[in-house]
Amino acid sequence: MIDDAFVFDGVAHVFNFEKKNAFGTPGEMFSNHLYAFHNALTPDDKPKLPPEEFLREWTVPDIHRMVYEESDTDMLVAMPLPLTDLYHDGLSPWERCADLAARDPDRTIFWGSVNPLEGRRALNLMERQVGEFGARAFKFYNVRYDYGSPYPWRMDDPQVAFPIFEKAQQLGVNLIGVHKGVPLGPQPIEHTQTWDMDGAAANFPDLNFVIFHVGLPFLDETCWQLIRYPNLYASLAATINFVVRAPRMFAEILGKLLFWCGEDKIVYGSEAPIFHPQWALRAFMDFQIPQDL
Amino acid sequence: MADVPSEVPVWAVDALGDVYDPCCREKGISVLDMGLVRSARLDGGRARIELLLTTGWCPFASALLTEIRDRVAAQPGVTDAEVEVVWDEAWTTGRLSPKAASALRFLPSPAEIGDRDAYLDAHRPRTVQARKEPPP
Repeated sequence: MIDDAFVFDGVAHVFNFEKKNAFGTPGEMFSNHLYAFHNALTPDDKPKLPPEEFLREWTVPDIHRMVYEESDTDMLVAMPLPLTDLYHDGLSPWERCADLAARDPDRTIFWGSVNPLEGRRALNLMERQVGEFGARAFKFYNVRYDYGSPYPWRMDDPQVAFPIFEKAQQLGVNLIGVHKGVPLGPQPIEHTQTWDMDGAAANFPDLNFVIFHVGLPFLDETCWQLIRYPNLYASLAATINFVVRAPRMFAEILGKLLFWCGEDKIVYGSEAPIFHPQWALRAFMDFQIPQDL
Repeated sequence: MADVPSEVPVWAVDALGDVYDPCCREKGISVLDMGLVRSARLDGGRARIELLLTTGWCPFASALLTEIRDRVAAQPGVTDAEVEVVWDEAWTTGRLSPKAASALRFLPSPAEIGDRDAYLDAHRPRTVQARKEPPP
């Protein structure tokens, strides 16, 4: 709890930034981009890690300590990254996220993650992540780099995405998250736009979709989508970390989301360990939207 | 020519009228139309440009700064160019040129709207219809 608020953190990753884990330059660019966010948005009076302490293999105890012992977080989503095109282990391997969740089964929720372009193999892995490890949701990334080139797929693709969504429903899962906006490394920005969420939401009204990073910089489009589809939600993950460095910008973003979409549509996420959860939580609790907004 | 704020001098309009943020290139909306240029000053041969980004997440900020600096530096009478992103002011849709405002669909500032639901009823776009079957 922070003050009187229960804190459910919608995303932390067990990163493996070891250089040998990256597949060449695109993977290293992805890692460096995340380090740049850590360095740029962590307030000056909070610890900023030098590259050698950030760009390393984070452990399950590291994340557990940072989230539960060093912050006011009550519950957490342990979220894998399926970037097996950029990193040998996907960057945040699902097995280690399952391990993180297993340590606190009453507090930590495991999400699964697969690459839908792998077809039957992806469907089989979904079955395993739910059946053996208790995955409660899935997280997806629309831009892949297989064979050194971008291989984008869309959330409204009946042949790639819909079988994955149908499998999730068969497994009793009704929650899907997707990275939107915020291109990292050499990602083509057009494939991080949110246009495809209409088709996903319309075709699967019984699934709930979370647009991570509120789709920045495509905020207005995301707001329109949340307004029109009751099963679309937005996560403030990483966006909340502007609260200290650019409070006016953050106020504009949060104000728009609250006014147009409502508080029930907005989800919190720390993105630990890119950012330590506590400074953003404290700053958020103390934050006031300026009257003129 | 771009429809730009009057405070942007002619030399800066000449330099930046066809410089695009990649997010807006296909719509033909330049950095001037987007209102990204807060100020452009020339002191002797030294040019200084202040930029407002639409979002701190702009993934192209570095490339955009480089292109703007190169374009300004190539202007007659400019010997040195400095481009800086400023953070003490937030970019708003009020900075869009009329051309850009008509090409983009932004939600108005909440402070401008008295009745949210009435605004949405009047402006709500069509929703996508469910389509389970793959296209032929």
